[in-house]
Amino acid sequence: MDVTPRTAPGSGVGAPPAPSRRHRGRRGLAIGLVLVAALGAVGFLLIKQIDSASLYYYNADEAVAKRDDLGDQRFRIQGTVVDERSAVGDDRLAFTIAFAGTRVEVDHDGVEPSALFEEGMPVVCEGRWSPDGSRFVSDRIEVKHSSEYKAENPDRVDPAAP
Amino acid sequence: MNDSTASTGTRVLGSITLVGFAALLLFGLVLSPADAAQGELVRMMYVHVPTAFVAFGAFTVTVAASVAYLLRRTEWWDLVAHGSAEIGAVLLAATLVSGMLWGRPTWGVYWTWDARLTTTALLFVLVLGYLAVRRLPLDRDKRAGLAAVVGLLLLPTTIVCHYATTWWRTLHQGPTIARADPQIDGLLLFTLVLGLAVFALLYVWMMVHRFRVLYLEHRVEDLGLDTAIAERRREASGALATPRPATGPVT
Repeated sequence: MDVTPRTAPGSGVGAPPAPSRRHRGRRGLAIGLVLVAALGAVGFLLIKQIDSASLYYYNADEAVAKRDDLGDQRFRIQGTVVDERSAVGDDRLAFTIAFAGTRVEVDHDGVEPSALFEEGMPVVCEGRWSPDGSRFVSDRIEVKHSSEYKAENPDRVDPAAP
Repeated sequence: MNDSTASTGTRVLGSITLVGFAALLLFGLVLSPADAAQGELVRMMYVHVPTAFVAFGAFTVTVAASVAYLLRRTEWWDLVAHGSAEIGAVLLAATLVSGMLWGRPTWGVYWTWDARLTTTALLFVLVLGYLAVRRLPLDRDKRAGLAAVVGLLLLPTTIVCHYATTWWRTLHQGPTIARADPQIDGLLLFTLVLGLAVFALLYVWMMVHRFRVLYLEHRVEDLGLDTAIAERRREASGALATPRPATGPVT
């Protein structure tokens, strides 16, 4: 707080310049910039939200039903891994996912999925239909683990244990 | 004179919290079993879920205190709203960091723009904006009123964030315990509930201290104002003998 003026009436002595006004102005500007940045970020995130998150993925059966509409559009597809993955090349994987009785062949070429990737796990793959629409070409796999937690069977030997 | 914000009550509470964290470490890292699907990675849950829950609770307190401030206009509610939002912001930051560290080995990615993660990021940015409003160089009452109005925005955002996994398709898993039929084994559940209790205690302990510090900050500010007025009165009466001491605003 600055309770200007400091010059007493009739004292004749010039008051030292009040340093806090400029200081306050600068501080106000900094906080204003932070506010603008925060509002901008909120707007950006809202748009992001409406854009992509409201429909994060199509289930495999929906993606097949909408195959013509989707064309070569990029989207995410969700299904449970139903066959043993087969390694095709260095970073390439070929496997099948299924949802509600519909199976989709997936060719994955990209970052290796997490260690949880295995048969029976639901996964979300990001990519597009192949030109002929027979396979889903993915470059990003997210393993969608459930919200159920069970103690690991103590009788089962952990293959990762040293 | 007591020169800290501690009291017998907070010392007891702090001690219980410390013991609680020791127990949480023991159960979280040693006694609770690994998960069938996730293995050891499940242990991240004992930090991630409690920090998220308590952060949501903290924001709810901020909203309630903001409403109370707008109705009553008392300093007490203003300080409660402020302190709770600060602690909630720290806890939510811990939620985001622990979530990313959990997401990389389980999902395979640190981050993705699904509804839960996006609304959590939104909530975090919003509370940072709220805390920026709390530092605006305005008259105290004006600032408190403005902050209380901005604080109300935390309510819809917190609710949307909490229900995001129920309302939309997300990569993030749905609720584990906030549902009718929790699917989680006994000792894992116990450890999770212990984590919730311990982080809730930590919140209360931090809240009491933060409230007291904020209260003292206000008193220092008042003192600064009184001093400034007294000085000017002295100067006006011609007693300008001593160099001006630094009596800027103490924030």
